[in-house]
Amino acid sequence: MMYMNSIADEALKFGNRFDDSEVYVVKTVSNTVYIDSTKISNIETKIDSGLSFRMAKDHKLGKASVTLNGKSTVKECVDMAERIASFSPSNSGFKGYVMPAKAKIKTSGIWDKKVENITPGQMTEIVGTIIDNVATDVVLGGLLRVSTVEALVENSNGVHSEHSSTLVYGYLTSMTKREHPGEGQEIIYGTQLEIDAEGLGRALSQKAIAAAEAKPFKGSKKLTMVLPPGELGDMLMSSAGSALNGENVFYGRSLWQNKIGEKVTSDSLSLTDDPTVAAPLASVFDDEGTPTEKRKLVENGVLRSYIRDSFVGESTGNGMRRSSVDAQGLYERSITIKPINMVVTPGRMTQDEIIDQTENGIIVDKFAWPEADPLTGRFGLEVRCGHVIEKGKIVGTINNALMMGNMIDALNNIEFIGKDTKIVGLTTVPTMSFSGIDLVGN
Amino acid sequence: MMQDLLLKAVRKMDFLGAQFCDAKSQIVRTIGVQSINGDIRQLLQRNTGGVCLRAWIDGRWGYGTVTSFSESEIMTAAEAAVRNAIGSPKGKLRLEPEIVVKSLRADVKVHPDDIDLEEKIAAVLDVDKAQETDKVLNRVGSYAEEIKDNVIINSVGSKIDWQEIRTRFGAMSISSDGPRFERYYDGPSGTAGYELIKNLDIECLGREVAEESVKTLKAVRPPSGKLTVISDPMMSGLLAHEAMGHPSEADEVTKKRSFLTGYIGVNVGTDIVNMFDNGAVKGAHGSCPFDDEGTPASNTQIIKDGVYKGYMHSLETAAALGFRPTGNGRAENFGKRVWVRMTNTYFGPGDRTIEDMISDTKYGILCDKMYNGMEDPVGGGFEAKCLRGYLIENGKITDLLQSFTLTGRALEVLKTTDAISREVILDGGMCGKGIEDWVNVSSGGPYMRSQMIIGGGE
Repeated sequence: MMYMNSIADEALKFGNRFDDSEVYVVKTVSNTVYIDSTKISNIETKIDSGLSFRMAKDHKLGKASVTLNGKSTVKECVDMAERIASFSPSNSGFKGYVMPAKAKIKTSGIWDKKVENITPGQMTEIVGTIIDNVATDVVLGGLLRVSTVEALVENSNGVHSEHSSTLVYGYLTSMTKREHPGEGQEIIYGTQLEIDAEGLGRALSQKAIAAAEAKPFKGSKKLTMVLPPGELGDMLMSSAGSALNGENVFYGRSLWQNKIGEKVTSDSLSLTDDPTVAAPLASVFDDEGTPTEKRKLVENGVLRSYIRDSFVGESTGNGMRRSSVDAQGLYERSITIKPINMVVTPGRMTQDEIIDQTENGIIVDKFAWPEADPLTGRFGLEVRCGHVIEKGKIVGTINNALMMGNMIDALNNIEFIGKDTKIVGLTTVPTMSFSGIDLVGN
Repeated sequence: MMQDLLLKAVRKMDFLGAQFCDAKSQIVRTIGVQSINGDIRQLLQRNTGGVCLRAWIDGRWGYGTVTSFSESEIMTAAEAAVRNAIGSPKGKLRLEPEIVVKSLRADVKVHPDDIDLEEKIAAVLDVDKAQETDKVLNRVGSYAEEIKDNVIINSVGSKIDWQEIRTRFGAMSISSDGPRFERYYDGPSGTAGYELIKNLDIECLGREVAEESVKTLKAVRPPSGKLTVISDPMMSGLLAHEAMGHPSEADEVTKKRSFLTGYIGVNVGTDIVNMFDNGAVKGAHGSCPFDDEGTPASNTQIIKDGVYKGYMHSLETAAALGFRPTGNGRAENFGKRVWVRMTNTYFGPGDRTIEDMISDTKYGILCDKMYNGMEDPVGGGFEAKCLRGYLIENGKITDLLQSFTLTGRALEVLKTTDAISREVILDGGMCGKGIEDWVNVSSGGPYMRSQMIIGGGE
C-alpha cells in the first residue's frame, strides 16, 4: 500500500493546478485454474496495477486511466485528463468530488489470508476435490479464480480511503456423456476460499443428470415460477436493482420513479443494502471514498431509498468500480452505481417446502441467462432445465421453452420467500416464487 | 526495444523447458465520449499496456501476465508461465504455428489521432441534439476509438507487429409515455478510422433513432409459440453467432462440449444455407490481420449448401484435431486467456428480396434489430433477443411488436429455412465466452425465413 500511496500523492501533486482532482490506484493479483474435460488445462497468474485520475478545471471535466507500467505513467495520466478536459464543454452540474467523512460501519471477513498466500498447488488441490466428487459419467468444465484487491482513493478535498479485500469466483459447468447432454452450472461468489468442494461436485453431477433427462416442453401455460438463488440474483439486480439505481432516477427512467414511501412490491419483500458482511463488494468506503452504510431499500413492499454516487448527488456510498467476478482492469472502469450487497430478508420456508406449497409451477435449474430488461422489466428467457411442479410434487424435467413475464410486475406477485440465502453476484437471495408467469414451448 | 525484450523472455521460457512459447506485448489507447440529454456524461482516455507470456509443456498452457514493461518483471512473468505449465501431462500435442515475419500498419483513411477531440465531441453532441423530440426522455450520443499496437514473438521464429484501429459511433433514444419506456439505437462501427463518422449523415441518424423509439411506444406484445420468423440481417447474424458459431469454435469440440462434434459432412440445414467466419473482411468490426497467437486471418466456410464443413481453430485445437490454424485464437487483451473465438460470422446470401419473402408469408414475424443472445453449444439451443418486430398477416405487415425472444434447436431451425434474401449486412459488437473475455466481432447475414419458438414479456 505504501507504493500506492506514493503514486496517489504524486498524481495529486501533479494535479494541484486543477480546481478538483481525484485519484484511484489499484493493484490486484489473480490466480485462475481452468478446467476442461474434467482436467486442469491452464493455470494463470496475473498481476495488474493501474491508476485512474479525474479532474475538474473551470467546470470542465477530464478523466484518464493507465496501467502502471513505467516511471512516466502517472504524469502522463494527469496530463491526459487535463487535455481531455480542455476540449470538454463546461459542465455546470458538476457537484465536486466527495468530501472527507468518517467510516459508518465495520466490515468482517473480506480478506482471506488463504487467498493472499495461495499457490498453484493449493488451487489444483481444491479443484481436484471438486473433480473427485463428480460422478464418473459427468464432464466438468469452467474456472476457479481467487484475487487480492488493494485500492486507494484520494482527492483534493482531503479524502483518503484504503481498501483491501479478496475475491473468490468460480464458474463451473457439468454435462453427462450421453447423446443430448444439456448442461448444469454452479457459480461461486465470495471473499473467502471456503468452498464446499465435495458438495459442489455432487450438485454439479445432479444438475448434469437433470439437464440430460430434460424433455422439450410442448404447448403453453400460466404458472408459478420458482427461482433458486442462482437464477434469482441477476433477475433481481436487473429489475429492482435498476429501478433503485439513482442514475436511472436522475434521468427519469426508473420504473420506481417518484415512489419513495409507496408500495412497489408484495408486502413480503424487504431489501437491504448490507456492506457489513463478507460479500464481494463489501467495504467501509465505496470506490469514490464515500462511507458505506447498511440501508433499507424496500421495507415490507414499500420503497425506502434509492442508491446514489457523487454524480447524482447525496451519495449513499454506492459509486463502484469493483465487480463480483473479476478484479482485472478496475482502473479502466468508470464509476457506476451498484448495490454493494442487496439482501432479501429471508422467509421461513425451505426450498422443498416452497415446492410442496406450489400447485402448478416450474423450478428453474438453468435459464440461458437470468436477466430482465432493466428499462422495461420484461423478460423472455430460454429455460435450459426446469422441473415441473404439480400439486407440490416434481413430475418431470423440461427444456427448450421460453419463460415470459415482467419482473417488476412479478415482484408484486410473490408467493413465497425461502430461507436458503446465498451470495449471488451483488445480491444475497433465497429461493422465491412468483405467480402468473407464462411458459411457451414447441 | 520491445521486440528484444520479448525475444529475451521467449528464450528464457525455452531454456526453462517450454516446448513452445510466445510473448505478446500490447498497448491500447482508447477515447470514449458519451452524452446524455445534451451534456457530456463520459469523456475519458485510457492508455493501457502489458505483456502476456505463454509456455506450452506436455499439452498444457501456463500463463504469466504483467502490466509492466520492465525487463525484470517480464522475466519473472516468464518464469511464472513455465511454472504454471508444469503439472500432470495432458498429452504430447505438437503445435504447428505458421512462421510469420511481418509489420503491418492499420489500413484507415483518416487516422483518429489526426482529428481533434473537439470535433469528436461536437459529433456526439450533434447526434444527441438531432434526437430532440417530444416523448424522447433520454438522448444518448456516443463515440469510441481504440488503437491497439501488438507485438508477438514466438519460439519458432515469428516476429509480427501490427496495429488495429476501431471506431464506433452511436445514437440511442429512450422514449416514454407515462410509465412505459422503450428504446431504439443505431450507428456504425468497424475496423476503420474517423472516415466512419465523416461519411455519416449524423443528423439523419439521430432523427431516425428518435422517431423509431417513439413509434415503439405503440408496439404490442407479440404472439407466442412456434411461428414463421423472418430474421433481419442483425438477427440472422445473432443466430449465426449464437446457434452455430459458438459450437463451431473447435475448443468446444475438443472438450466434446459442442453438439456439432463429429458433424463434418453432415446435413445441418436446407441447401440454401451457407455460413462463414472471415477475419479478413475489409472494414468489418471483427476483422484482425492476425489472431493473438500470430496466425493470419482466414475465411472459414462453416456451412456449404446446407452441409456442415468445419470448425474455427486456435493453434491448440488445430493440432488436436489435425487441421491448420484458422486465425481464431483470440484474447480480450494482454491480460486474458486465448480461446477459440469468432471474428466476422455471417450467413451467405440467397436469391430472394425481403419484399417477396413478406408477401408469401401467411402469418409470421419480421424481426427488427437484435438486443443480445446466449449460446448453448452443449444443448444445441440458442436464445436470441430481438429489440422489436412486425407481425405479418396474409403477406402484409400489420402490428409493430415490442421486444421478444427467439429460441429453438439450431439444427431443426436451419432445416426449416426456406427463403434467403440477396443482401448481406454485418453489424459490429462484442462477444463474451460465457460471461467474460470480450472480443470485437461482427455478425450478420441476409433476411432469412425459418420456424422458431417466439415469446416476449408484457
